[in-house]
Amino acid sequence: MFSEKYLAELTNVSVKPLTYGEQMKVQPYLLKDISISIAEGEWMNLIGRNGSGKSTLARLIAGFGAWHAEGKFYKDQSRFVTGQVPIVLQQPDASMVGSTPWEDVVMMLEQHGVEGMRIAGIAENALRQTGLHARMHQPVETLSGGQKQLTAIAGCLAVQSPMLILDEVTAMLDPEACIHVMDKVRELNNGGVTVIWITQKLEELAPGDRVVALEQGELRFDGEAEKLFERQVMSGLSPCEELGFTAPYVIQTAWELEALGVNLRPIPMTPEMLAKAVTPL
Amino acid sequence: MTGDWKLKQVAVAAPNEPEKELLSGINLTFRKGAVTLLIGHNGSGKSTLLETLAGLRRLSGGQIDQGSEPLWQSGGKKQRLNKTIVMNTGIALQQSESQWFASTVKEEFEYSLRPYSAGAEERERRIADAMEQAGLPSELLERDPWTLSGGQQRRLAMACLLACEPEWLLLDEPTAGLDADGIRRLCAILDAHRAAGRGAVVATHDLDALLPLADEVAVIAGGTVREAAPAASWAETHAHEAAAPQAQRAQAQRALAQLRAAGFAPPASPSGAPWPAPRELAALLAAQRAANGSRTAERPSLQAAAAAAAQTSAAAAAAREPQAAPAAAPNSNRRLASRFDPRALIAAYLLLATTILLQHSWAGLAVGAAISLAVFIPLRAQIRPWMKAIRAYVIMTAIIAFIAGLHLSPFSFDWDPALQTIQRFSGLILVMMLGLPLMALVTPLRVQRSLEQTFGWLNRFKVPVMSVALTVTLIFRFIPLLAGEWGRYVKIAHARGKATTPVGSLPFRMLLPAMVPYIRSILRMAEQMADALEARGIGHPLAKPTQGLRLRFGREDVLIILAAAAAAVLLLLIK
Repeated sequence: MFSEKYLAELTNVSVKPLTYGEQMKVQPYLLKDISISIAEGEWMNLIGRNGSGKSTLARLIAGFGAWHAEGKFYKDQSRFVTGQVPIVLQQPDASMVGSTPWEDVVMMLEQHGVEGMRIAGIAENALRQTGLHARMHQPVETLSGGQKQLTAIAGCLAVQSPMLILDEVTAMLDPEACIHVMDKVRELNNGGVTVIWITQKLEELAPGDRVVALEQGELRFDGEAEKLFERQVMSGLSPCEELGFTAPYVIQTAWELEALGVNLRPIPMTPEMLAKAVTPL
Repeated sequence: MTGDWKLKQVAVAAPNEPEKELLSGINLTFRKGAVTLLIGHNGSGKSTLLETLAGLRRLSGGQIDQGSEPLWQSGGKKQRLNKTIVMNTGIALQQSESQWFASTVKEEFEYSLRPYSAGAEERERRIADAMEQAGLPSELLERDPWTLSGGQQRRLAMACLLACEPEWLLLDEPTAGLDADGIRRLCAILDAHRAAGRGAVVATHDLDALLPLADEVAVIAGGTVREAAPAASWAETHAHEAAAPQAQRAQAQRALAQLRAAGFAPPASPSGAPWPAPRELAALLAAQRAANGSRTAERPSLQAAAAAAAQTSAAAAAAREPQAAPAAAPNSNRRLASRFDPRALIAAYLLLATTILLQHSWAGLAVGAAISLAVFIPLRAQIRPWMKAIRAYVIMTAIIAFIAGLHLSPFSFDWDPALQTIQRFSGLILVMMLGLPLMALVTPLRVQRSLEQTFGWLNRFKVPVMSVALTVTLIFRFIPLLAGEWGRYVKIAHARGKATTPVGSLPFRMLLPAMVPYIRSILRMAEQMADALEARGIGHPLAKPTQGLRLRFGREDVLIILAAAAAAVLLLLIK
């Protein structure tokens, strides 16, 4: 009944924190009646306010934590060697086991049972691809937040993890590091890795991306990024506005242009697209 | 009352590494009644600068004044912080939202307000005001702060700061991880703060949210000020450079640059704002578009747009490889950490340690000390961080020796037992100091591997060598993290308790406010590490770990063991 191509599929899933006895009944739901499916190779942006259940959903999909869950949750176990999906966090200090990027990736490969002779080569290759090759023997304490995140990403690349979850990784990074990390993850995604990207910054959404928005544990939007910003005829509001997000500057300008009668569909999402869209041919 | 902050040639060195400057030659003025943004790359020194203003870093040079009062006062021998300035300054560090130690939200407020001599009524008013400003319902006052949601904890941290009604707010990345609603509220707080004639210094990457609100901008790079300008004119200059790197620019600035390159003339930003409102921009674009609509001469501008886009992406690509931070020092460290086989180091250490402990004569000890010195001199950098502990040990030895030599009836001092004590403790300190640099000479994985390679055969007898070896690795990995976390919570407690002592000497009464969040934070880290291990497949029943790193004895390793053996023989002969 589940189609082959889905890596994970949730049907009417509700989640409460795990407690015992009577207490369970009064616990609020962290997630309510969520149905989503994640296809192989997909890029899924997960957005929502603080406390909307983004991280809970991510941990549930990744296979971490103990919950009181209802509903159906399918995960293609044959694709996940260790059972869990790695989550890259904002401050990944404690998730790094090795004392240098090289050691961290090597340890990951060792645990995955990769043949010893090949490990060093694979590790160095993965580190080169994430741009960390020059720093691979540097102690982790001297790495910046972005470099630590890239180390975690290199590990996933090395063991060919089918999915990667990134939980607001760009929140503490400077704009340059943001672009760098984003580029590397996009590259990984182009190579077929499924990515769940949790963020508060709507500027990070790319045209054609899938966006899933949560509000108070409920699924409120699941569709293309363009649709998130499309103003409805009836209400005059876009899902983005209805959910209380602040739209990026480019989107706001596009809305104002639409109000003035300039038709710009599909809505431009980057400064480059805006400039191109308003230039008459 | 207070005046502007004035920084003159301020320099700050890394703790334990006096020659490594984190900040140098900083000359800046932060105006009262204005919001100043500190922007720059990660690791450029923004946070350090904020901490320096709050007195959480010692100056290695220069002078900081607020109005006419110096931040650091030299009263007697030791420098102390100026109480007036400390009381007037509220700092929110990146971990401030997990600083809780009391059992209710109200008690957290009471603690924050304790340094201020406010009456009960006044305190109530301040708490109510701060809760309102931060957007927290008053029912929360009786709740345990740790049961609040993450977003509420961040608001509470802000509210605790506001309740003190500081003249100056120093905020480190206040928008990171905040949702749109939280950001709007933060902007309203900053606006009200400025309207009251007070000042704020905010380190941030989030120009989209904060530049429209800022009065001034200071760009920090490599521990120095690269640029300082009024926010509007700074935004204006940087919006014109189509090829400026993406970094350090808000999306609005990039959009304006793109439009200019495409042949549009976007409206000038209204005075005081960094960019025009979307509505004004849209009106102008629509008008210009209509005027040019039918002209075919528009083609070139499209090409210009394409060229500009290419230029921008090239610049971005150039900027993508994050600039090389000082890599030289860590590299030499690295070479040291993976240069020797841990087995050789441990064997050499055991040889020296045993033979030094066997010495019972002053002559033997002197030779032992000479040999140790030969080891210490090249490794002095690795020993320096431990100097405090060593000094404490020496003082302790002196005290114990004194007590050992003391006779009460009749009251006299006997040198023999005192010297004997010193002799015994001297041997111990040599052995201890020889062990200290070991940590810097190995990496956890190499220790793990050396244990596995040496004792792996015990596996056959069901001895869990691999598990023990992995545990050793993790402990090694965790120790520096623990020290780092402790440092952070000490700083938070110091700032919140309004201590005037230099950081590093936390007053005893502030120990609890640092300890409780520290322990919670360690537990959280342990959980995070457990997750990471699980995700790596450690402990997975099907996993069959392999070894990608094998240690081999090198020539240097043999030399180390031979040298240690020679020294050991010498020491045995003297004994």
